[in-house]
Amino acid sequence: MSDPTIKQRLNQVFRDVFDRPDLEITETMTASDIKEWDSLNHVILIVATEKAFSVTFTTKDVKSLKNIGDFLALIETRVRR
Amino acid sequence: MLKQDRSELDYFKLIKKANLPQPTTGPGLRIALLSDASTQHLVPLLKALFAGNGVNATLYEGAFDAIELEAYNPASGLYQFQPDFVFLIHSLGKMKSSYYAFPGDPAAFPAHMASRLEDTWKTIQEHCPAKIVQTTLVLPCERPYGHFGLKLPGTLPSAIAELNREIAIRSRAHPDVLLNDADGLAGWVGRKHFIDEKLWALSKSFCALEFLPDLAQAFVDVALAAQGRSVKCVVLDLDNTLWGGVVGDDGLEGIGLGDLDDGNAFGFFQLFLRDLARRGIILAVCSKNNEETARRVFLEHPAMVLKLEDIAVFVANWENKATNIRGIQSKLNIGFDAMVFLDDNPFERNLVRQLIPEILVPELPEDPAKYVRFLSELNLFETCTHSELDGQRNLLYQEQDQRDQVKARCQGIDEFLASLGTEAGINPFLPGNLSRIAQLIQRSNQFNLTTRRLSETECRKVMEHPAEHPAFTINLRDTFGDFGLINVVILAVRGETLEIDTFLMSCRVLQRGVEQLAMNRIFALAGELGLARVRGRYLPTAKNAMVKDFYRQFGFTLASEGEDGSAEWLLDVADYQPGTVFIRAIEPISLSEVP
Repeated sequence: MSDPTIKQRLNQVFRDVFDRPDLEITETMTASDIKEWDSLNHVILIVATEKAFSVTFTTKDVKSLKNIGDFLALIETRVRR
Repeated sequence: MLKQDRSELDYFKLIKKANLPQPTTGPGLRIALLSDASTQHLVPLLKALFAGNGVNATLYEGAFDAIELEAYNPASGLYQFQPDFVFLIHSLGKMKSSYYAFPGDPAAFPAHMASRLEDTWKTIQEHCPAKIVQTTLVLPCERPYGHFGLKLPGTLPSAIAELNREIAIRSRAHPDVLLNDADGLAGWVGRKHFIDEKLWALSKSFCALEFLPDLAQAFVDVALAAQGRSVKCVVLDLDNTLWGGVVGDDGLEGIGLGDLDDGNAFGFFQLFLRDLARRGIILAVCSKNNEETARRVFLEHPAMVLKLEDIAVFVANWENKATNIRGIQSKLNIGFDAMVFLDDNPFERNLVRQLIPEILVPELPEDPAKYVRFLSELNLFETCTHSELDGQRNLLYQEQDQRDQVKARCQGIDEFLASLGTEAGINPFLPGNLSRIAQLIQRSNQFNLTTRRLSETECRKVMEHPAEHPAFTINLRDTFGDFGLINVVILAVRGETLEIDTFLMSCRVLQRGVEQLAMNRIFALAGELGLARVRGRYLPTAKNAMVKDFYRQFGFTLASEGEDGSAEWLLDVADYQPGTVFIRAIEPISLSEVP
């Protein structure tokens, strides 16, 4: 299970980026579940998340993400460092 | 240009704004992006920033990394789109790949690449009349030879720096190729923040997302300037703006100038303003002071950089500033949106903003040492032309003041006009006049019947085809001074009709009889060509209401009127009565500016 506060904060980033104030993310969600999540918004999402958590992802980090669960795990590792 | 400060360029705020439906009012502008970086993030930003300036931009995104393919194919989407502007975006990421793949001597790379870019410009201009805006290359971080690499030709940092130099030099021969100095921007914000290798790898982004708005804003600035939207006048407060302290309280010796207090900062600010004046920006003073006291500083303080002759209009009194600025505006005859008001006092800034919403009133930092940096970051003074007469503009307005004084002494307008000893040179388009012609076409908003913004290249085409497009210019001078080239007329022969495609005039010479002189000339030409009638058109814009009924005074009749307020006027050559003018016409040689 991922850290609940990280999930909450990431949820807020998703809501801001996709302009969907009622969006609730889950660990199993992927880009195909959110229609606004296209390649254009993906880059914005990554940069917005880096900014929100004051972390930096590597290129490989970003390329290997499969779903939101991966994303949460990645943030957790990066925040702990 | 930015209106108040750089917070307008926050990426996340701007992208939110861009996602809202944009108003589709205002003049349209067709913009094509040809890029070897991805443009998908840039497009919404450009749209939002143009909309913020009242321009309804339609964008075309060329296929990714297909700049030359689009340019060289006459049937490409680029040309079908019929752009007003083509933005050419060359990324560092792609340029590095080209450099590493270059088969020849790397020292030859800059000239080779610059030739390719120049050929692309030429090809685009052969196929369409669009203006081109070319980015410079962001300098790379690679230093395989350390600092020594700069001394060696052909190293990556040398090659990119040289390429930028080549782009700038070659662009001088192409008046309709303008530059967007992306490297200047990157250097200012810091290349280590600007260059984003990860985003290049992920999505071929030109730079970090954070700085895309700045890049887009630079494009908007250049395009708007090329459309004639530029600042023409800076209105200056005096106390604590041009010098430290209050001259009325502190006295001439007590104000901060020279080595006293923060006087040096004000000195540098004045030097910056003097450069603007030399570039053709009109300086005006609007200060709450006794006029005598304020003028004395300019006349007597040894550390003053600006002199009275640098100031076109000097207003120092105790009226409210909005009223005074209205006075300055009517004297200069320019739009409020071409004026910037600089004042250290937030109260005055807000008052002027509230009463004259069109005028630009930037914030000013508390420390005068930061004035120049702050204003430079807003990039208020973008331009797309330069003529040697620009620096004399302040002088022109002072001469006008002398004319006004004579006018006040004269009994009637005819006596006044006769007393001026005005001479006019009527010329066909001449090569040495093209840049001034193009400049006047970009700058004239009020006395402009059709507001067709022909580029310098298009003006050259007009010059080269006098049979289809008879065209002429008028230069004017009188006993007080030389106005230079102030009137441009472009005609088109359509069957039996001579059509006035472009008729525009500098507002400095209103009510002098130039209109009459030009119209006499148009009908004389129509007669020489054996044509039956002359057709004039009025195409309304937000600024040219003053010439709505221009054609009526010459006897034209209204032939048709569109719903948008546009109108078509006709007059038979046989029915034209040439009007008297108090101008001695000298033709075909011009009075100035001809080499």
